[in-house]
Parts: sequence; structure tokens; C-alpha cells
Amino acid sequence: MNRSELARLSLVVVLFVVVQDTVMLDLRIGGVHPDIMLLLPILAGIVGGPSRGAGIGFATGLVADLFLPTPFGLSALVGCLVGFGVGLATIALDRSAWWLVLVVALGASALYEVTYGVLGSVLGQPQMLHVALARIVVVVAVTNVLLAIVAVRLVKWGMAEASTEGMPTSEAGIGAA
Amino acid sequence: MAPPRRSRRPRTTLLLLVLAAVTIITLDARGGLHVVTSGVRSGASDAFSPIRSGVNAIVEPIGSFLAGSVHYGAVREQNQKLQAEIDQLKMGNQSSVDQAEALRQLSALLHLTYLGNLQSVPAQVTDFGTSDFAATIDINVGRSDGVQLSMPVVGNGGLVGQIVKVSHHTATVRLISDGQSAVGVRYGPAPGALAVLNGTGAGRPLSADLVPSNTPLTPGEVMVTSGLQGALFPAGIPVAHVVSSHTGDTATQESVSLLPESDLTHLRYVTVVLWAPST
Repeated sequence: MNRSELARLSLVVVLFVVVQDTVMLDLRIGGVHPDIMLLLPILAGIVGGPSRGAGIGFATGLVADLFLPTPFGLSALVGCLVGFGVGLATIALDRSAWWLVLVVALGASALYEVTYGVLGSVLGQPQMLHVALARIVVVVAVTNVLLAIVAVRLVKWGMAEASTEGMPTSEAGIGAA
Repeated sequence: MAPPRRSRRPRTTLLLLVLAAVTIITLDARGGLHVVTSGVRSGASDAFSPIRSGVNAIVEPIGSFLAGSVHYGAVREQNQKLQAEIDQLKMGNQSSVDQAEALRQLSALLHLTYLGNLQSVPAQVTDFGTSDFAATIDINVGRSDGVQLSMPVVGNGGLVGQIVKVSHHTATVRLISDGQSAVGVRYGPAPGALAVLNGTGAGRPLSADLVPSNTPLTPGEVMVTSGLQGALFPAGIPVAHVVSSHTGDTATQESVSLLPESDLTHLRYVTVVLWAPST
């Protein structure tokens, strides 16, 4: 990852944090607020593949953990797993298909929230499963589908240049939105 | 679109990242890294606070609009209520109901008899929880006001929760309804029997632990903090009242359901008690 990509990605992450902690916290549906921070590992997995999905999922998860009351590092753990999983699951698919992002955002958001609750519970926070998990899954997955089209453009922009600049094995076009 | 660049060993990368994450979680939970992580979290909150308030001022109307479109039915009902209220206000030339309510809550906080001589700081609730997986609130006081980790937070009726994160000007309170919360209490005639009240999640009743089976409990009976040596809260703060209790055929403990004395869903102002647990 070069400086340009790091700066762009940082900007995208800060934008996501700002939107999450302002608009999304005010927006409560059935007592649950949307969580756009988990779109970052999901979309990084689609755009960059398993390795970069895992790496970016870990880093953005740590940033998300700074603002959450849940155990520090839990979002990083789930983020790298989901980023890797999404990268692996979509590796053989035509990533230019417009519907792919929507389907993956829906499925991976739901999977993320369930994994988050289960892993939190396993790692000493059993109360994390005593929540309205079904409602959280539905609200977060549906809002993320609605926002995925815009969000994927931002993530592609953030991850664009590094894959085409200064790397002999890189392939052009990843960032072309 | 061309396929993405693939690492030669993505599984190794994943394994290393998972190990790193589990290590961070473990060290944070065991206390080794907690000083560092709470410092970083506090720094991030401080740095982010001005951005957040600036952006909030701009986007709050948008958030309200979106919330309004989602809660159309509730908003319409609220609109009708407000309309009726406006008519009433015009007729009676009353002061704003909202201001009166705020004043009522604040005045009540000034006369919390159960606090005795303990020093306290009033605070405004700024956010109702940043995670769907925990019952917390954010308040607008922090270290600069003398607030420290683990200090108790009370509301009009009684105990609200405990400070779990503190930055320079803000703090996060874990509510007693959170599943991780456990409060030592006394109940019954003096000197009172001991029990532990556990949270079961936001908006749900509390449950009591260590109440022997067939203990006579009347609905409405209030349980107060025990204040035992090393307790997390000072003695005598009302916590919750009994709603129902029953004993199973083979149970050794009474199954008790309680509601918090403070209305945790409508908190606007709270008081942080400047009292740290003795260790």
C-alpha cells in the first residue's frame, strides 16, 4: 500500500466514522441503528480480494472499535474474517455485475452481525447474544444494501491507485468504478 | 474489470490477523493493554468530538428527516399530539412543556436525598448507545469535570449505571440494564438480605441472583445498593423495584423480575457521583 492509497483509504474511513457517529446514530429503526462501518471490510473483500479484504477489514475494525463500548479488537477480528470470506467467495465471480455488491452486502452484513454476537459471547461477553439479534441483522443488512452502491464507489476510489502503480504484478482496472 | 491482485499466502495473512485480534482482545480484557486502549479510545473521542459536533450541526436536520420518514406513523401521531399541545399552550399561555419537563428533571436531580453528602456533577445525555450490542449512554462531562472510570451515575429515581469510558469532555455510561452490569443490593427488613441484580439487555427487566427460594417479596419492593466493602456503588441508592417473583418446583433460588427505578429509556439529564470504589 503506497502513501496515496493510504491517504485515500484513511479519508474514506474517516468519512464512514463521521457518517456513522452522526446520521446513523440518530437514525433508529425499532431501537436499532444502522452500522455502515462493517461495509468497509465487506466492500474491501469484493474490490481487493481475500488478502486485502482481511487486512483492510482488520484495520477498519480497529478504528470502529475506538468508538464502541464492546471489547476492543472484536470488530477487527470479525472484520478480517468477513473481508477474507467475502474476497474468497467472490473470487470466481464476475465482480462487474451490479447486483453482486447488493447481494454480498446483504448476506455479509447479516453474517457479520451474527458472527459479532457469537464471537463476543465466546470471548467472555455472553450478554452480546441477549439482544434482539434478528432485528439488528435485518436493520443493518437492509440499510447496508441501500447504501452499498454509493459506498462501493468510495471504497474503489480509496483502493484504486495502489493496485496499478509501482507494482509489477498489479493489474489495471481494479479501481475503475 | 480485471481480477484483483492476490497475495501468495492469503491464509497466512488471515491467520496472523486473527491471532493479532485475539491477542488484542485478550490483553484488553485481562488489563495488560487496557491502559493503552482506554487511552487511545479517550484520545480518539477527544479528537473526534469537535468534528462530530460540527458535522452534527449540519447533518442533524438530514438525520431527523430520515428518521421522520422511517417513523412516519409515530411522527404523525406525535404531530397530532404536538398540535393539541400548541392549542393548549395558546389558550393557557403556558410555558413550554418541554422546558418544564427539563426543569423538572434538573430540579429533581438537585434534590437527590439518597446521595447524602456525596459530591456530584450534573450531565446531559448526548447519545443513546453507539452499539446495538450494549446498553450504554454518552454524557457531556469528562475528566475535566472530575469524572473518572467506575464512578456511579444516578437519575431521578435511582441508579442509572457506571462510567466505563471517560475522555476529556465526554464519558460513556454502562446502564444497569446492560447484560454486563451486576449491582450488589439489599432488600427486605433491616439489616436486609443481599442479592445481585443483573441486566438482561436494553429495555428488558433486571433479574436478581442469590435470592433464596420462597423469599416473600411484594411487587413494588425497592432494592437499594448494598455498599459492602469493595462494592462498586455507595450504599443506599435505589436500584430497582420488584415486578414479579416465583419459585420453580426444584429451584433453589427465587426467580425475580425487576424494573429500574430510573426511567432508562427517557434519560435527558443524569448525575455523576464523584465517588470511586475502594479497591
